[in-house]
Amino acid sequence: MRRQYFDKFIFFLMVLLIIFGIFLQITTVQSTEKLKQEEIDKAEQYASKIAQLLQKRTANNIEFELENNPQLREHLNESLQAFLTKQYQYIFVLQKDRKGNYRFLLDGSEEEPEEYKTIFFPKSKLFDNVYLTQKMQIIEQHEGVEQVWLSLVYPIVGDNKTEALLVLDLSESYAEYLNEFNSPLMNVVWMMQIFLILSLFLLVFLAYRYYKIRKELIIDNLTSVYKKQYLYEFFDKNRLDNYNIMLLDIDEFKEVNQKFGFESGDNILKEFTQTLLSSLSSNAIIARTGGAEFLITIPKDEGKVEEQAQNIFDILKVKKYLIGNEIQYVTVSMSAMSVPENTTSLQNVERMLDEKLLEVKSKGKNDLVVLNEIEFRNVYYNNIDYIKEALEEERLICLYQPIYETQTKQIVKYEALVRLIDKENSEKLIVPFHFMKLVKGTSQYIRMSKLVLREVFNTLHRYEDIEISMNLDLDDLDNADMMKLITQNLYENRAIANRLTFEILEEHEVKDYGKIMFYLQQLKAFGSKIALDDFGSGYASYSYLIKLNIDILKIDGSIIQELKNSPDHAKTVIRSIKELAGSFQYDLVAEFVSDEEIYGIIKDLGIQYVQGYYLGEPKPIEWYMNDNDQ
Amino acid sequence: MKKILLLLILSCVHLNAVDRGSTLKIYHSVFSALSPKTPLVVYTNDNEYRDVFQHSKKIVLTDNAKESDIVLITNERTLIDILYTMNENMDISKKPIMFVTNYHFLKISDKIIGAFYWRKGRSQLLFIKNRLEQYDISLPVEYQKFMIDEL
Repeated sequence: MRRQYFDKFIFFLMVLLIIFGIFLQITTVQSTEKLKQEEIDKAEQYASKIAQLLQKRTANNIEFELENNPQLREHLNESLQAFLTKQYQYIFVLQKDRKGNYRFLLDGSEEEPEEYKTIFFPKSKLFDNVYLTQKMQIIEQHEGVEQVWLSLVYPIVGDNKTEALLVLDLSESYAEYLNEFNSPLMNVVWMMQIFLILSLFLLVFLAYRYYKIRKELIIDNLTSVYKKQYLYEFFDKNRLDNYNIMLLDIDEFKEVNQKFGFESGDNILKEFTQTLLSSLSSNAIIARTGGAEFLITIPKDEGKVEEQAQNIFDILKVKKYLIGNEIQYVTVSMSAMSVPENTTSLQNVERMLDEKLLEVKSKGKNDLVVLNEIEFRNVYYNNIDYIKEALEEERLICLYQPIYETQTKQIVKYEALVRLIDKENSEKLIVPFHFMKLVKGTSQYIRMSKLVLREVFNTLHRYEDIEISMNLDLDDLDNADMMKLITQNLYENRAIANRLTFEILEEHEVKDYGKIMFYLQQLKAFGSKIALDDFGSGYASYSYLIKLNIDILKIDGSIIQELKNSPDHAKTVIRSIKELAGSFQYDLVAEFVSDEEIYGIIKDLGIQYVQGYYLGEPKPIEWYMNDNDQ
Repeated sequence: MKKILLLLILSCVHLNAVDRGSTLKIYHSVFSALSPKTPLVVYTNDNEYRDVFQHSKKIVLTDNAKESDIVLITNERTLIDILYTMNENMDISKKPIMFVTNYHFLKISDKIIGAFYWRKGRSQLLFIKNRLEQYDISLPVEYQKFMIDEL
């Protein structure tokens, strides 16, 4: 689990446990309180009924009737006694005398009932309130009162005058009973709360362990700077392209260790990192990526990478280390770069810096090199893993550059040109210059060719009135796997194979013409045409015209470009190629027609077909198709 | 487990101490209201109360009711004995002052000036006005509310 999610998860779990614990407590307490309140409500109804009974039996003149009728007193005392249940500790009736003292009128106690008119101190002024307000009141008993939980004081009113107070004392034992009524639930709640607390402790302990282990994972024990792992986590949350990144390595540190011992070597490393830390801002991050190798990241807004790197390099260059009585200097090799926009892979940046660092090391060490963006791109794409990933993800497209009939300026064919799609920016296309050399001769080349063939045939199927040419290296013909792939595709698409032209490229001289001739014949057997690309330069010699059975000649772009610099010479060469092609009845194509002037010359020279940026850039086929529709 | 047991015993001892302490406090307060003398010589034959009072610095216990300033009576038998002795030997206007722990005792003799007892779970303290006057006792203001004219 990613760290930021783990942090949030732990925090969320803790909060959830606490909330759950509080919720359980509140719910249980509320449940008990509700139970108690229900009992109080019942007691109130009970008191009301007893009061009604007393008033009825005393004909609303309680004082007079009780004073003059001891038998009635006796009878009512017994009645009150009958009302006593386990929830009522005492039921009695009080009256205030002329002096303001309360005296018993009736007492429902079974044992030692109070005598009529015995004085009583109720221990609460609220009794007086009930007398005055004639409103029932619940009195919670505290100090100086025992065995009583609540007193329900109910006024007995006659002729708008409080005649007496009916007191129902709810017993403490009943309150305990009510509390215990929920005790199984409370026990469960307590157990759950204990469990929650233990879980919380466990969670805290686990979190502590996690952070301790994490610290060990991200902090280097020796130098106390970060390890590389931290940088990966850091750039998961922060934009890599906001930083300048430097890779530096202490030169010949192994020899320092051998010369002074590992302990001294360690001390140098510690002092070295301290020097780095003190020379950098607090926003910079230093990570030890190897024995004596460090990666430094500094925000771009703190300065230019060249200045930052030079500053660090200069500081480290003059730094002295005292080992015993000896003063030791160490030199560093450094590579640095300002991370280009939209770059997200630290691994790629590190790889590029590492490659450059190796260059510095191989050129004598003790130097600093800063990569520019072009170098970055070159190195970036020049990675077989990157290309492999692109092909696995099928991040490959073909652009199509139109080939025109010179005189009519009508498109007669399109040349398919392969491009890889950048991993981080899908709108960015990578030209073959960056990857073709690397991929040739590997299994990835076959994979790429397979994708290109699929794309080209799909296009031919989709647009039935177009022709497409695609490049094919002479070496490919000599590769059994490649030939099998091509012939298989041609066979599967034999109905449209005649609309496909293979433009043969060569990087070295052909030795076995017979074999090449055989392969070309196989392609032509499906109706496909063969064009000889870049004729007039390199190895594409006249002997090809003699020994290979081709259909089209494409004049090398460098000859066409010479029309600008040496127009007369170039025209002469082009005329001779035209004559040659005419003699062999080959179609002739002029490439690299980059402006109107060259187009004019080519047209005047009577070259049959033209191709170039002036007439049409490589674009997705849909672009031209839609354009044609319009 | 031993620790838990020890904590339990300590808490019980503590509760008991609080109970004794509060009883002592009540009687200190009541007796101080009845007599300004320090220390007060108190007679009671109730061992429970004697246990409580022997921890007091303001109360001195005596075995002889005649020598006491206040007699605290907790049972009827003692009350009758003391009343008999008082009738025989003591000067009613002097000492000892008689205080009881039962409301009904107040009805037995008008020499008893007050009582502290429990009714319906409530502590009841009362003094009888005319009896206090017999002993020339005037109660502090805070005790006036516990004074009644008649039973």
